[in-house]
Amino acid sequence: MTTLPPPTLASAHATHAAHAKGATKIYGTGDSEVHALEDVDVAFERGKFTAIMGPSGSGKSTLMHCIAGLDSLTKGSVFIGDTDLSKLSDKALTQLRREKVGFIFQAFNLIPTLSAQENILLPLTLGRNKGDQAWIDRVVDTINLRDRLDHRPSELSGGQQQRVAIARAMASRPEIIFADEPTGNLDSKTGSEVLSFMRRAVTDLGQTIVMVTHDAVAASYADRIVFLADGKIAGEMQSPTAQKVLDYLKHLGE
Amino acid sequence: MFRLAVKMTVARTGRLILTSLAVILGTAFLSGTFVFRDTINQTFDRLFSDVFRDVNAYVRSTTFLELDFGGEQRSATPVSVLEAVRGVEGVTSATGDIQAFARVIGKDGKPLGSEGNGPPTFGGIASSDSAGLWSVTEGRLPSGPNELLLDKATADNGDFVVEDIVRVVAVRGVREFTLVGVASYGDISSPGGATFALFDQPTASEFLLEPGFVDAILIEGDDSVSDEVLAQRIDAALPADLKLETLTGAEITAEVQGQIKDVLNIFSTFLIIFSYIALGIGSFVIYNVFSITAAQRLRENALLRAIGASRRQVSRALLIESTAMGVIGSLIGFVAGIGLSQLLSALLKATGFEVPTQGLAISSSAFINTFVAGVVVTVLAAWLPARRAGRVPPLAALRDTALDTAGNITRRVIIGLVILALGGIGLASSMRDAPIQILGLGVLGVFAGILVLGPAIARPIALTIGIPVAKLRGVSGAMARENAARNPKRTSRTAAPVLLGVALVTAFTALAASIRSEIRDTFSEAFAGDIALTVDSQGFGGIPLTITDQIARLEGVAQATGVGFTSVRISDPNDPSDSQAAAPNASQRGVFVQTINPDTIDGLFDIGVTEGDLASLGRDGIFVDAQRATDKGWKVGTRLQITRIDGVIIDAEVRGLVSGDTSFANYVASREMFADSPSPIFDAFVYIKVAQGAVVSDVQARVAAVSSDTGIGTLQSKEEFIDDQSASINQILALIYGLLGLSIIIAIVGIVITLLLSVLERRREIGLLRAVGMTRAQVRTTVRWESVITSLLGAVSGVVLGVVIGIVVVAALSDEGDIAFRLPVQETMWIVVISFILGVIAAVYPAWRATRVNIVEAIAST
Repeated sequence: MTTLPPPTLASAHATHAAHAKGATKIYGTGDSEVHALEDVDVAFERGKFTAIMGPSGSGKSTLMHCIAGLDSLTKGSVFIGDTDLSKLSDKALTQLRREKVGFIFQAFNLIPTLSAQENILLPLTLGRNKGDQAWIDRVVDTINLRDRLDHRPSELSGGQQQRVAIARAMASRPEIIFADEPTGNLDSKTGSEVLSFMRRAVTDLGQTIVMVTHDAVAASYADRIVFLADGKIAGEMQSPTAQKVLDYLKHLGE
Repeated sequence: MFRLAVKMTVARTGRLILTSLAVILGTAFLSGTFVFRDTINQTFDRLFSDVFRDVNAYVRSTTFLELDFGGEQRSATPVSVLEAVRGVEGVTSATGDIQAFARVIGKDGKPLGSEGNGPPTFGGIASSDSAGLWSVTEGRLPSGPNELLLDKATADNGDFVVEDIVRVVAVRGVREFTLVGVASYGDISSPGGATFALFDQPTASEFLLEPGFVDAILIEGDDSVSDEVLAQRIDAALPADLKLETLTGAEITAEVQGQIKDVLNIFSTFLIIFSYIALGIGSFVIYNVFSITAAQRLRENALLRAIGASRRQVSRALLIESTAMGVIGSLIGFVAGIGLSQLLSALLKATGFEVPTQGLAISSSAFINTFVAGVVVTVLAAWLPARRAGRVPPLAALRDTALDTAGNITRRVIIGLVILALGGIGLASSMRDAPIQILGLGVLGVFAGILVLGPAIARPIALTIGIPVAKLRGVSGAMARENAARNPKRTSRTAAPVLLGVALVTAFTALAASIRSEIRDTFSEAFAGDIALTVDSQGFGGIPLTITDQIARLEGVAQATGVGFTSVRISDPNDPSDSQAAAPNASQRGVFVQTINPDTIDGLFDIGVTEGDLASLGRDGIFVDAQRATDKGWKVGTRLQITRIDGVIIDAEVRGLVSGDTSFANYVASREMFADSPSPIFDAFVYIKVAQGAVVSDVQARVAAVSSDTGIGTLQSKEEFIDDQSASINQILALIYGLLGLSIIIAIVGIVITLLLSVLERRREIGLLRAVGMTRAQVRTTVRWESVITSLLGAVSGVVLGVVIGIVVVAALSDEGDIAFRLPVQETMWIVVISFILGVIAAVYPAWRATRVNIVEAIAST
């Protein structure tokens, strides 16, 4: 990177949807102590699609959970926008998840008893918020699911279910969306379909997405990749392609 | 969110109904008893409004004694009053009314109507006046000392037709009458299954009561004035010295309706209490079901939390679901209860306690009571699981394992032991004469302590019980054992309802067994005779004293004596706080007094005299239970005022004390005290000693001839009599068993539901086992034995707890250790065997469901 001045809080707010400073996560105590994260500094740009990659146990899921406010850090701080998560109560964290954060999980993404439409609107319903109908219409059109809205999750294919999950994550027009191996349970064709929809959500609708994956092809859909190894940032890559990623990983492994 | 919660609830209707089963059963029993009570009450309400339709005024004595169970015994009214009443302006007719003991003897020589707990057998007056309660449907009214009228049901049952000769036994002995007609009471052939023998007034008074007396006077007016005015006029015309009162038709109707309700309500209150116990036990099942479903939906709830649902929203969704369950369950339960009430009527009819029911009375209060109780219990039972569900960390959505959180075992053990110890202290102190409330609290404490400890002790106990299962059933048995122990919290919550039910049953059984053997010992010591004639008349009617005397004169009878009961009012004139002395005519509770014949009882039946000589009883002497005398501060020589039913006051003296073990009342008087009373007394027992040299069976045949002649009582040998006395406890026990059975059924349903949910939860695991070669039969075996282990876990700990409580209760109830605790070994073993069988039955459906698991789907699904 170049010669930009160190980011102030205001400028961080302006360009970063979320960032972490000195993020440290330790599991267990004494001899069984495990450092899942060690003094990680990372920031995620607004309106960009970022992938986090790394081998199993590298701490990529832990990093995502902590930034998303699902888990707490042992040391350091995490910001969504300019809100310091470590200072928030459970109630405020819930509020934040509802309004500023969206989630896409690997599996068990939807409430089985609700229709696709109800699942999409769930974060809004939970906050007694009607939401922006025009935005929701755009989202639904983007993921191309208008004719399946009345179906229950069990009546949808895996790819369709994941698209509903993307729409739900976007429904409240959150600051940032976290996706945890969103294609892990899908075959490569539906997987690439889902990834294209995520790409369009960023490009066309200006959403911010952070995705954890270990699939080089999936990561190549991102604008930027952050590599993690042994709980530390191991490097990053802009405008990746699958080949570049594979090469890098090979290099990282050596 | 509310709308969504409702939707999520509705989407699970199938499971909702399944889990509502406990609510449905609990509320069905409750609503069944309510509807049953209301139906009976309505029937009697209608009956009496109908019967008293033409009665505008009612004259009766103001002197009466209140009896136990809401009954009352009122003194008689002289017939001469009839003339005075007939002269009052506005009176069309006045007729006497008698309701006294009379028993119709069937053509086969056996009395009609059931003896014992069945409906009473009455004698009364048949009158042409429209104010009379009976209407003749066939033949004519009786007239003169040799004619009678029967109610239609009795005539039909006895196969009597007009012109038949009918034998009737009443206070004056046995007589034969010619049947001249058949009548109905209001619109029905016989109220409450009672039998009625009706005579003209002079015959009825003489044969049933006392010549020249009736129980009350029924009056019809000419409708020229209101009933109130008519009653006032009649009242003014009554002789002041006779202590009479006049009621309007509406007043007497309401009073009679109220009296019958009081009696019935004791019974239905008993039923309702046990229904609430059943519902309480059901609440454990509901609690368990919610805990399991909340654990199974952990990931779903975590997902909700992750995408922004607050703790309260997650909890609330579960509470809404529980409310829906409560509402639906209570509604279904209420409807099911209506059917159940019909079943209850049929059941009582089959046991000889026929209750008349016309139509169905479904009151709003029955509905509200059932509904509110059902919903409140359900929501309360769901409260903790709902709160726990709200506390699920959002991160759990991303993890695989769905665990029922183990909680802090050490804290649980400490709290459980403390509660248990407190309960134990309560029990121990109640064994040393602490008040009975302490006993109740102690039992509650022990129950609560065990329930808290449950999850901590369930695992080792289940593993121990499972050892033989694992030995006998190989791999399947070993897996069943591990399954029963793998979630000790769930297992203990499933076994808890069984434990409660079994503990109650065991405690009652142990108590009954101890009392039973105590009664046996006491009576075999006290009864020195060979034969006993007993009538279980529940304070109404019995063996006329003339029959007793007749038996005493039989050939081969060395000695015969009768023991009976009546009620009197006893007041201590020297005790200013004794309200009975202050207002002798006010409504007061009477006491039971045992009447004996002091001339013949000596050496035949020992009523446990501890001080004084029975020969000194006389007309104005009384013996008092020693404990009662101590409580009241009385001793031999204390003067007491005894008020008889007819209002006559006797200045009496305490002439002795009895131990109370073999007397059936706290007071003993000579039959001489009541010789001149217009309200007759009866014997309930006649004890007979056979003369030396006479053959017992011959004498028995002669006594049988007399008693079957009069159609009264049951003739028993000494052994049979003693068995019978101790068996009376069995009737109560049977009723309690029946009612606790409801709780056990709910407990079993709890096992079924838990197993079903466990099978659903372990679908993947079962699929995997099937994939690697477990047969369907093996799957079934595994589920079945898990059920049996759980059921036995509850039963075995319930038996242990029940025996402990039984020991304490027996000790607390016996004053000076005079009742020894007896372990009902046989019954206890039956309880365990039955629990075993119920465990097998409970597993049938869940085991079948387990075998239906589709292997491929189960493994593929996540």
